[in-house]
Amino acid sequence: MRIPTDLLEKLDAALRLGNSDEAEALAKTMLERGVEPVALVQEALVPTLTDVGQKFQNFEIYLPELMMAGEAAERVTTLLEGVMLRAGKPSITLGTVILGQVEGDIHDIGRNIVGILLKSHGFKVVDLGRDVAASAFLDAAQKEKADIIGLSALMTTALPAQRRTLRLFEEVGLRRQFKIAIGGGATSQSWADEIGSDGYAPDAASAVELFKMLMDAPSG
Amino acid sequence: MNATDRLLDVIQRGLTGPVMDEQQFDSEQVAGGIRHVLRQYEIRADRSHVVNLDDGLADRVWSAALDFLASCGVYCIDTGRVIRFSREEIEQILNDAPREVQLGAGSDAVHESYRLVGEKRPPLNMGGPVGSPVSEALFVPVMLSYAQEPGVDVVCPATLSTLQGCEIRTRSPLEVLAAWQEFDGMMQVLERAGRPGMAVNCGQISISDVGFLSAISRGGYRPTDMHTLGMISELKVNFEQLNKVAHAIKQGGIIDPFANPIYGGLGGGLEGIAVLLTAELVALNLVFMAVCHGSSPTHPFNFNDTSREIMQATGLSLQALARNSHLMTNMTVSPVGGPGTKTLLYECAAYTTLCTVSGASRILGPRSACGTVQDHFSGLEARFNGGVARAAASLDRERADELVQRLLSCYEDLQDKKPVGKPFPEVYDLSTVQPTRAWLDIYDEVVREVSGWGLPLR
Repeated sequence: MRIPTDLLEKLDAALRLGNSDEAEALAKTMLERGVEPVALVQEALVPTLTDVGQKFQNFEIYLPELMMAGEAAERVTTLLEGVMLRAGKPSITLGTVILGQVEGDIHDIGRNIVGILLKSHGFKVVDLGRDVAASAFLDAAQKEKADIIGLSALMTTALPAQRRTLRLFEEVGLRRQFKIAIGGGATSQSWADEIGSDGYAPDAASAVELFKMLMDAPSG
Repeated sequence: MNATDRLLDVIQRGLTGPVMDEQQFDSEQVAGGIRHVLRQYEIRADRSHVVNLDDGLADRVWSAALDFLASCGVYCIDTGRVIRFSREEIEQILNDAPREVQLGAGSDAVHESYRLVGEKRPPLNMGGPVGSPVSEALFVPVMLSYAQEPGVDVVCPATLSTLQGCEIRTRSPLEVLAAWQEFDGMMQVLERAGRPGMAVNCGQISISDVGFLSAISRGGYRPTDMHTLGMISELKVNFEQLNKVAHAIKQGGIIDPFANPIYGGLGGGLEGIAVLLTAELVALNLVFMAVCHGSSPTHPFNFNDTSREIMQATGLSLQALARNSHLMTNMTVSPVGGPGTKTLLYECAAYTTLCTVSGASRILGPRSACGTVQDHFSGLEARFNGGVARAAASLDRERADELVQRLLSCYEDLQDKKPVGKPFPEVYDLSTVQPTRAWLDIYDEVVREVSGWGLPLR
């Protein structure tokens, strides 16, 4: 069934205000009224969070508001994931992403923004944090059965660590099992091409599009 | 308290302060704390000006920043605890902060000192690409292009991309050796420039403590050089950074750290970043025993600091600091434009004018092309920056505001296009280490233009 307009508007408002409790309650009401979890994601979460992300890009809102909307969306996604699991249906997540700041880079905020937007669009995100060794990316990718690995570098001195991380995946023969994308202020498309990554995103919004495209792209 | 005792006190607070989850610190202490003081102090900037003209607003930003910092504290990542100082402790430490410092030695020494808003004495000019990546073969000519400029008072190196062709790996012996190569290269540069005692902002190559410590040890960088290290955004430290402080204190170097708040990040927009930047520069003194206090507030997508809102926040914060403390503040110009573009020079003129009339004691850079493109920087832009700083010191804030608005109109629409310009070998003659005729023509054209707009560069 289609989502009733009044509920859709209320959920939109709850997400924008970062009201996690209300967003979760509204999502439960929708499910009780027969709304399919996938429809809830596609018709409610994705449009609202896409717009929230765009407003952040335009500086109409700032990171705290983006974080709150992202947390509310994550609460709804967790609820929906549980429903699908209990019903024996396939996961609603678009894919599993490992994110991290490569070794020697201690920045956070840019990667956090990417993580929030990816979660809002239905990705499962495992954030390894800052200053992550190449081997830790490899371990996490295998443990989480990741689809995509996102290597962030804001500092030019951290660029070699991006290359080393990619090389480690090649050396152990696992490079073709995962898509590996790069981003961060120090990176560029030419650097991505040089080190052989599967993609490059200049900012958070384009990272979402890139990761969706990589999910659709054939492996190897 | 001497610096060692102060550092021991900071470490004790980091070991015993309140335990907190890092995300909670971000969302409640930083983001929530900023929102609270913005409301409490009714901080609202007049967006029709880029250079702040409202002294009352600057003073409210100062009060808000101190209240915020006393409540928020600084997060120690290694212990998961908050390092807190009361407002009274903060004010006492600020009272004891140095007002001036000698940078360099002998006849090459210069004196940096605290500046007032609108002070006619110009800020110092630190020339250099501030950690931007440089090819090994170009390190000496590039850095010589800055050190040889008479209008450059002190220098800040680029970051070597490789060491004898090898990629440099953090926390490895390669980083230690690269730090020594940076030192050797800089000493060669100062010798060739005939300015052996000139101060260097050292350790640009070293991310980790081990690289940093090695090259400021015996036989390396001197006590008259400046030791740089960064606070982690926002308001976070780790033991690796504090190791650098400990070593710098015992080596007797000049501690010259920075904190770069992210525009649109946890501090929010213009007003929030003004308060956060003010608090972070004060925190550099509390936690790192800073002698000089630096920043380059960062645009989250373009990585520059020359966009309108960031400049509004920067000027407001500098004025808050200069009116209410005697901290020496320095700002790195991070333009989107690169060598061979007029955009770069317009951005430098705008940012340096803003910082000069707002009380900064030193201008750094420029970190041309935001420091992200290898070899895209040259000494000519530091010559320009120094000229702007000296000329802008004669302006009042109203005239400076008109000029900055005019300069913004020249580059604002071009920033998203990232005009990174040309690499050093295309804008300088490598055999003479002098700018090419083409780059000088662009320079002269902008000097003529900007002089005609009221900045007496000629």
